[in-house]
Amino acid sequence: MNGARFLLRRLVQGLVSILGASLIIFVISRLSGDPVALLVPADAPASVIADIRTRFGLDLPLWRQYLIFLGNALTGDFGNSYRWQMPALRLILDRLPATVELAICGLIFSVAIAVPVGVLSAVHRGGWIDRLGRVFAMLGQAMPAFWVGLLLILVFAIRLNWLPAFGQGGVDHLILPSIALGWYPVAAQTRVVRSAMLDVLDSDHIRLARALGTPERLIVWKYALRNAAIPLLTMLGVYFAAMLGGAFVVETIFAWPGVGRTVVEAVFSRDFPVVQAGVLFTSILFVLSNLLVDLGYGLVDPRIRDAR
Amino acid sequence: MRARFFRGVPWLAILVLAAVLACAAGGEAILPHDPNDLDLGSAFLPPAWLDGGSLSSPLGADNLGRDILSRIMAGSRVSVIVAFYAILFSGGIGALAGMVCGYFGGRVDAALMRLIEIQQSIPAIALALILAAALEPGLTTVVVVIVLTYWAWYARIIRGEIMALKGRDYIAFARVAGVSTPVIFLRHLLPNIFNTLVVLATLQVGQVILFEASLSFLGLGIQQPDISWGLMLSDARQYITNAWWAITMPGIAIMLTCLSANVFGDWLRDRLDPQLRQL
Amino acid sequence: MLLSVRNLQTHLHLRRGVLRAVDGVSLDVAEGETLGLVGESGSGKTMTGLSLLRLLPKGSGRIAGGSISLDGRELTTLSESELVREIRGRRIAMIMQDPMTSLNPVFSIGDQVGNPLRNHDIARGTAVRAAVVDVLRRVRLPSPADRLDDHPHQFSGGQRQRIVAAMAIGCTPRLLIADEPTTALDVTIQVQIIGLLRQIQADTGAGIILITHDLGVAASLCHRIAVMYAGQIVETGPVRRIYRQPAHPYTRALLEAIPRLGAKRGRLAAIQGQPPSLIDPPTGCRFAPRCALRMDKCAEAPPEITLADGHRAACWKLADA
Repeated sequence: MNGARFLLRRLVQGLVSILGASLIIFVISRLSGDPVALLVPADAPASVIADIRTRFGLDLPLWRQYLIFLGNALTGDFGNSYRWQMPALRLILDRLPATVELAICGLIFSVAIAVPVGVLSAVHRGGWIDRLGRVFAMLGQAMPAFWVGLLLILVFAIRLNWLPAFGQGGVDHLILPSIALGWYPVAAQTRVVRSAMLDVLDSDHIRLARALGTPERLIVWKYALRNAAIPLLTMLGVYFAAMLGGAFVVETIFAWPGVGRTVVEAVFSRDFPVVQAGVLFTSILFVLSNLLVDLGYGLVDPRIRDAR
Repeated sequence: MRARFFRGVPWLAILVLAAVLACAAGGEAILPHDPNDLDLGSAFLPPAWLDGGSLSSPLGADNLGRDILSRIMAGSRVSVIVAFYAILFSGGIGALAGMVCGYFGGRVDAALMRLIEIQQSIPAIALALILAAALEPGLTTVVVVIVLTYWAWYARIIRGEIMALKGRDYIAFARVAGVSTPVIFLRHLLPNIFNTLVVLATLQVGQVILFEASLSFLGLGIQQPDISWGLMLSDARQYITNAWWAITMPGIAIMLTCLSANVFGDWLRDRLDPQLRQL
Repeated sequence: MLLSVRNLQTHLHLRRGVLRAVDGVSLDVAEGETLGLVGESGSGKTMTGLSLLRLLPKGSGRIAGGSISLDGRELTTLSESELVREIRGRRIAMIMQDPMTSLNPVFSIGDQVGNPLRNHDIARGTAVRAAVVDVLRRVRLPSPADRLDDHPHQFSGGQRQRIVAAMAIGCTPRLLIADEPTTALDVTIQVQIIGLLRQIQADTGAGIILITHDLGVAASLCHRIAVMYAGQIVETGPVRRIYRQPAHPYTRALLEAIPRLGAKRGRLAAIQGQPPSLIDPPTGCRFAPRCALRMDKCAEAPPEITLADGHRAACWKLADA
């Protein structure tokens, strides 16, 4: 398959996913019953309700309402936030950079732990670092991100007073939320790196490199690691997406002004336009990150680069 | 054979799980205190081993003077109920979808797989948020959210197994012999995927408990006056500077339960279905 | 003598016990000479090759005795870092069975062929590229300068084996160990690779140890043959003598097992039975249980008999004659 066709096919698939997501979001939002009830006082006269119904197109069949919702969404119109009195999309876009920043830092944290621990666990298989890594992985999988966040605040912000616990600011504000966000995926990533390294270290080309006097340092960190990084890279999209999901909780704990916290707050104030815009945007980011990784990992794996 | 099956049984994990189940089943009767009993006099009572602690509240008390140990024991009930229903329905729906997809293939399969793909383009917690915004938050919503998130996981794995099974001779014989499709499903397919289902279900327990705790923590799950570990943490969060134990104790309960469920699940998987190891 | 191995013992410490993979091997390779190390799989020939590089399985493998001397330098006592710096890839190079998997798929061949050159300070900085082109030209890879940035999957099997050979000869090693270099290739490419090894030898004067189970390949390339069985060398001699007057019953059986064009069907005689376990090998002749000429004496270790200049075999039958 050539590059352009592969690209096109993945783009279409991504588009279908996003369309489907928008449909799901729309349908679920309407499960709550009559949205008019949220817009008018309980004792509003029937004529007013009917008027609002026609004005917002709520008297139309559901599928036409969806098309209108979709059409508006395509032009960037999700309606105004009930609470902030500004277009929901602008609110989300304003908060988006903070979320992306946090998600990237969380990802960097998790990869920065997972790669060395995974590599060393494979190189010293059965050694103390391997065992310690396994214990931590078991623990990590059993601790919810929000609790990790709370413990971090308790220890580093309150007890030791080393790092700020709330809000956005300098780099120091990023540290605790990034750790809380990156904590959970570390275990899975370590496992991916470790098993990939074990496979690679047992391969013929590594044996040949050893036989030709390549120093062990180069064998492990250059020749083996680049092979072992491929499965991790192919999954980076999944991990980034997991970060976006985790951001909803972590942003709330650390009062991080991102999309996640905004949407959580909007849920409580029944601010539907913001919830819809926020969730749809997260989904788009989600699909995009998977797409980018699909396209990008050819850069590290020449076999795939040429197969396209 | 029997001896080998029981080798390396994680007794400690089983003990913890049994304790959680006992707390959930025991109800009010076994609690040292009424978990909702306010006693402002003993607000922020520290755990027994600290200065000012009392043996009657070994893990201390929260901001309203409620006994933390009793609340943790009572909170196990929600975890167990949510885990039970969530796993029952996500496993049931997922297994059925996976069996149908794997057995019939073709358009049904393509459509369902596409649906899974679309659904997975929405982060689970975001899906939970819109559902919680649309429905009343509470135990049912939590279960619905978890079922919607996890059925696809079962469906994918079961589908793969069914596709492998379909090629076997005895399934082909049964079809040729005119055995009706429901009978093939119940008699021939289900017994073959039973081990896998059990393993997937056990491995899901820990994740369900974490998910419920996260939703309740955000205020989108269990509501007052019901008691859940996530909700306890949500309450305690405001008083993090006053009482560290209110933040740590429920979290430890979550951690121990999940850890035990995962250890038990890993062990069961290695015994019953080692091919699932990559999960 | 370029390489002199005496009474080499290589042990693998496994959970089931100590496996004597190489059990008292002695061999010599002269400059410009090719020695064929022939035997069934599991006979210890690959382990012998790896022992020369001291490249044994981590944790379990170790050299338990004997000596390896290269140009008069004892290798068994060198430290790991000396081996990496001065021996592996520099004095002794090894190329492996399968050219399809011997190259790292995610690095360009320029990087991989240049790697030993950089590690052993043969070339530095910008000179590496020119040196790599030069080596690739020596192994007759077509238009090497244009292909340095290509990756292994862009080359054919024969080309890949040439690239592997280029990696091995870049530092002009004194000894080249080729472990089944042709097994994974089809026949026409086998011929080319054999020609390549011959030419490398003519260019550099290196000694070659060719590890193979294929007596045909060994015949076409080697000056001398050493036949291995169950961790020991049972017969060694000039290639002609081995083929015309094999002395050891095992060598004879091996030769009979070669399918010949025009031979009657059904003459393809497989040797009955299995080689002994090397964890607890029998005392006496290790081939005895499968040997048609077995006698009572074979329960004791057979003496090594010199039959002619450089032709020796270990068998009681020869002692009697």
